[in-house]
Parts: sequence; C-alpha cells; structure tokens
Amino acid sequence: MSLVVDHLHKRFGRVVAVDDLAFEVAQGQVFGFLGANGAGKTTTMRITLGVLEADAGRVTWQGTDSNRLPRSTFGYLPEERGLYPRMPVLDQLVFFAGLHGVPSGRAKREALAWLRRFRAEDLRERKAEQLSKGNQQKVQFIAAVLHDPAVLLMDEPFTGLDPVNVMLLREAFLELRDRGRTVVFSTHQMEVAEALCESVAIVDHGRMVVGGPLREVRRAAGRRMVRISVEDDHRLSFLTTVPGTRVIQAGMDRSTVELEPSVEPDAVLAAAIGAGARVLHFEVADPSLEQIFIDHVGRPADEEMHLAAAEPVAPAGAA
Amino acid sequence: MSAVRNVGIVARREYGERVRSRAFAFSTVLLAGLAIVVALIPLAVRLLDRATITRVAVASDEAGLAATAAGTMDTFLNSKGAAAAEGGKAFDFLVMDSPAVATEAVRDGGVAGAVLVSRTEAGGLGFRVVTVGALGADRQQLLQVGAFAVGILDWTASQPAATKPFVIPGFSVEDASAANAGPDTGPSDPATAADYASRRIVGIVFVVISFLTLVFYGMWVAAGVVAEKANRVMELLISAATVPQLVIGKIAGIGLAGLTQVGLVLVPALVVMLLSGSIGDALVGEGSGSSVSLSALSPGLLLAFVVYFVLGFTLYAALYAGAGSLLSRAEDLQVIALPLSLPAIAGYMPAVLALSGSTSIVIRVASYIPFWSPFAMLARLSVGRVEPWELALSLGLLLVTVPLVTALSIRVYRGGVLMYGQAPSLRSFLRVLRG
Repeated sequence: MSLVVDHLHKRFGRVVAVDDLAFEVAQGQVFGFLGANGAGKTTTMRITLGVLEADAGRVTWQGTDSNRLPRSTFGYLPEERGLYPRMPVLDQLVFFAGLHGVPSGRAKREALAWLRRFRAEDLRERKAEQLSKGNQQKVQFIAAVLHDPAVLLMDEPFTGLDPVNVMLLREAFLELRDRGRTVVFSTHQMEVAEALCESVAIVDHGRMVVGGPLREVRRAAGRRMVRISVEDDHRLSFLTTVPGTRVIQAGMDRSTVELEPSVEPDAVLAAAIGAGARVLHFEVADPSLEQIFIDHVGRPADEEMHLAAAEPVAPAGAA
Repeated sequence: MSAVRNVGIVARREYGERVRSRAFAFSTVLLAGLAIVVALIPLAVRLLDRATITRVAVASDEAGLAATAAGTMDTFLNSKGAAAAEGGKAFDFLVMDSPAVATEAVRDGGVAGAVLVSRTEAGGLGFRVVTVGALGADRQQLLQVGAFAVGILDWTASQPAATKPFVIPGFSVEDASAANAGPDTGPSDPATAADYASRRIVGIVFVVISFLTLVFYGMWVAAGVVAEKANRVMELLISAATVPQLVIGKIAGIGLAGLTQVGLVLVPALVVMLLSGSIGDALVGEGSGSSVSLSALSPGLLLAFVVYFVLGFTLYAALYAGAGSLLSRAEDLQVIALPLSLPAIAGYMPAVLALSGSTSIVIRVASYIPFWSPFAMLARLSVGRVEPWELALSLGLLLVTVPLVTALSIRVYRGGVLMYGQAPSLRSFLRVLRG
C-alpha cells in the first residue's frame, strides 16, 4: 500500500536527471521531496504521472506500474503554473475535473467549496489572466485535487504564497492526509517540510542523498545540538569554558549550539549556571533539516544552481 | 470509454473557444461576404450582358440567303423583345461570305457566334449556331426565335407557298473550341455552357473554401498547441489526459469550428445563388437558362466536399499539431507557417487547373495523392467525370494516410510538448521522433 520509486534512471542527452533514485512513500503520508532546482524532482514526478518514460526503473502505486494506472489516480500541481488565460476560473476547474471523469455538476459544487475554503469565492467568474500569482496557484491546487486523487504530486506548492495562504494550504494538506490521501511535494523550503512531512527524501543531481522518516533522518545526522536562551548574555560568552561547542545560529531569543560527540548537553547547561547566567530555555535538539541538507549537499537548498538542460528554459507566462 | 469522453471534453473546449473568438466572427463575416459576391457573379454577368451588343456572323452557301436571314433577324430581334424595349440592340448581325469564313471569325474571337443557314432537301431551313462559349443561353434562345421567324418568312416567300408544307427550321448549337481541341478536354458529359459555368463556380467555391479553411484552421491548431505550451497549461493538460486524447480532441474541436464557419459562409451564398435567378428575372426580365448556377450542386458533390474537407483537415491539422508542439513561443509560428502551407499550395494549383477543364496526367495523379486530393479531386468532381476507381483510390489513400500522419504527429507531440527553449529545426524534430 504505497508509492514506490524503484531505482529510476532518466537522462536527457548528456544530462543525467535522475540517477538510481529509490524511495517509498506509505499511503496516507505527507512526503517531502527536497532538493535544489535541477535535482530531478520534476522529472521524477513526470515519470510518476506517465508523462515521461524512465530509461530504467519504474514507479508503482499499490504494486501497479504508475503509467498503467488511470491518470485520475494522481493529482498534479506543476511547478510551472499555467491555466488557460482567457477562460473563467470555474470553467477551467470543471474542464480539468471532467478530464479526470468528474461530472460537471459535482465538479462545480466541489470547486466552489474549495474556492470558499481558500477564501477565493469571488474568483469563480474571473479569467485566469486577471488573477494574481497567489490566486492562480490556489486555482491550480484546486484543479489538482478536485477529482479526489489517491496520490497528490505537488511541485513547489508553497513558493510564491503569502503567509495566510501558506497556512490555508498546509491545513488542506493535513486534511487530505487525514482522509487517507498520499501527498508528495517538493520544496526547497526546509521549514515547511519540517512542519508537514512524516518522511523526506533529499536529492541532489538526481541522486538520493538521504531519506526516510524525518526523525530518523535527523538522528542519523549524528549531530547533537542544544537550543538555549539566557537572559542578559546573548553572546553566550560562557561557552568559551566548554570546548567542543560552536554556535551555529545566534539569535536574540534563542541560539543553537552544536556539540561535538564528546560533549554532553548537560555540560553546556552546567557552564551557563556556573557562569551565573539565568537560563530561560534549554532544549536538546536534533539538527534542523536545513542543516542536514547543507551537511549532505554542501550548500543551502535555495541557492541558485545552473539549470539542467532537461528543465524548462523559456520564460514562463508568455501569452 | 474515458478516452472518447476526454476527446469530447477537449474538443468541446476548443470548439467553444474558437467559435466565441473575435477572429472567428470577423473572418466569418469577411468570408461570407466574399462568398456572396462570388455567388452574385452570374447575376452580374447577366446584368452586364443585357447592355452589351452581341456580334453574330451570318453566312450561308445559298446566295442571298445570308443577307435575308440577317435582315429578318435584325428586324425581328432588335426591334421587338426585351432588349429593344430597353432601348438597346441585342445583336449586331454581320453577313459573311461563307460558313467557313464565319466559323473562322468565331474562333478568332471577332464575333461571339456564327449563324450558319443552310437549305435542307425538303426545302426548309437549317440553322447551326457555332460559338466558343461566348454566347449566353438566353442569347441562344433569342437566336432560335429569330431562326423561326426567318423560316416562316422564307416559307411564305417561296412560290407557290401552299404546295410545300412549313418545316420548322432545324436549330443546333455547337462549340467550335470543343470541336477543335479533341474530345478529351472540357467536361466529359456534354454539358451546356451554362451548366459548365455553374460547375466551375461551385468547384471554385469549394476548392477555395477548402484551401483557405485548411490552412487557416491548421495554423489555429499549431497556434493552440504553442499557446498551451507557452502559458504552461500544457503541464496540467498532459497530467490529466493522454497525448492522443489531446491531439485528436484538438483536431476535432478546431475542425468542427472550421466546418461551422464553412457552413456559415456557404449557406448565405447558396441562398443568394438560389435567389439570384428570380432577382435576375425581376431586374432583367424573364429569361430562360440564366439561373442555373446551382444546377451543378448535387447532393453527391456536397457529400464529397464534406468528406474531403474532414479527411483533408485531419491530415493537415495533424501536421500542424506536431509542428506546433516543437515550438516554445508564438513568435516561432512564422517559422513553420510557410513550409506547412507549401503542400496545400502544391495541391491547390492542380485543382485550379482541373477547374479550367484540363485533365492532364499531373492533375489526375494529384487527385490521388493524399495531401493534394482534398483540393484536386474535389475540383475534378466539380467539373467533370471521375471514374469510380479513381475516387476509390483517392479516398483509400487518404484514409490510410490520415491515421499514419496522426500517429506520427502524436509521437512528435509527446516528445515536443515538454521540450522548451529549442529552436524549431529538423534535428529537434528527428530527436523527438526517435523518442
């Protein structure tokens, strides 16, 4: 009962887009597919949808090859947003749902319910070309879920949304998960993945770098850190008395301190108290996804990379 | 099941988008206007014809007979009847030395026709009118009336009148050009000049409309594919429907829009053609044989037009869809517009030749070749006789080619729609073809 990406290979000319990629997403999970641009996320999703063919390997859902399944098994939110510019929003939604076999009456009802939910009811008669980017994205999200697919493939769903809409979308994700839908989304925003995912896969240059349940990924990082907040000593000057510590994220409120394996978290707390500081907060923490990503890939996920040739090059949104 | 449904959904969207567009309304009005103008040509010719004086040669082997006949017909046809009432002369009769001289004058174009009068063995008169098609049907009718008058006068003038019964003068019309050029040119069945003109007009209308619509709507297919790629709705489309569903749905939807426009263009023109007979009668006066413009429009020809239009459109639209999928931006459309319209133009030319009555081997072959037959065979069907095996061969080849080209186009499209930023070239075409 799961989505299995089974040793997938895909190359475009000389560019290797996906290189022996393998992971598994259990049904009803929210899965984060993490990587920079050109890491192979979009290609993997397109192969899953049956739009591209893999050179080797396969993707299965519940044991069946994904390109043998009806297209309505999947709901897809492409990274490159695009709708018919002159078509009213509601008509587009009914059109796409119709292609997935949803009768127009039901499609209309559900589309309106989703629009209401996204506080965007007034968009129904608007043409897509009149929508803001955020609203276009909401409409596309609805287009992806309207036929209630078993698996949702969302390519960078949170990019370009304001905080309110990010929240609405996160709620929708969790609700879909609670209804037993499997959600796979790609992102380079690690905080979002951290907040939503049960499992993640970090990919770089088409290769899987690390993957699995979020907690295990963090533990496996082999790094320990503490988060500490001390009154009147934002610079944590007492740390000089504890060798093998390093402030990796300094903040006015809380700072994150990385510990070498020989250092026990208690030593940090003892040093703080020994220095007479008032400790407001102390927490032994796993490394953040962002740190794990940097550890494995060598740079932050949102750092711009050269686009692989397989990725779209032409400017989007041209008429 | 879902495939048919999705083709229908895609087609409906395409159809609605085209038919509601401003370009559709604009071009429909324009083309309908043009078609009505073409439909009015026979009427205009008739109106113009009323004001012209037709020069007709009169000749006979019998001494004096030509002069008598010319005099009688001049008095009779130019003083009485509609033409005289309008204050003009219908005919200008020129007496010539011999039938041979008169026939030569007809071929030179010096006169519209020649009336050759001869004495029959029974003592009556025979009239042969020789023309190269420059003599309208109503003029021929008038000449026949004139011939009758000459016959009566000739009978009363002969001595003694009562001993010989009156013989109705023989009257026949023959085409000097047909007699000259052999039996293989011109319409195969002995069509009258008016019928032939009607066939040509119907053929021209069909071929021109087919050509314009195929090229125009073909470009719409390509432009539609490019637009979907450029505004990235393609990503959503190919995740919702399969490539064959998208290609066939698009072709069907835009093709139906094309057919709708053809209907909107043709129906008013046909109505005008039907009415132009009575309009003409009202303007020019009752005249026979001048409102036959629609006589060539048989249900069979109409069916052939629809069949060739549908098959031809599918063929060309598949080409345009495949080509469009290789482009990334609307600006690139110009690059493919000319090369893609070349096969249509190459088929249009033999069709025009066929409409002028030629049945050369080039035209025959063109009417079998799939990319050309929608024009060339249609033209041949309009103006002349086509052997059943020729029609079967032409349609058979078309029916085989259409799915082949569509399958090829689907293959190109599958590779092309997700390919961005590459200049349209033969190399990129071959690359997506290899998959």
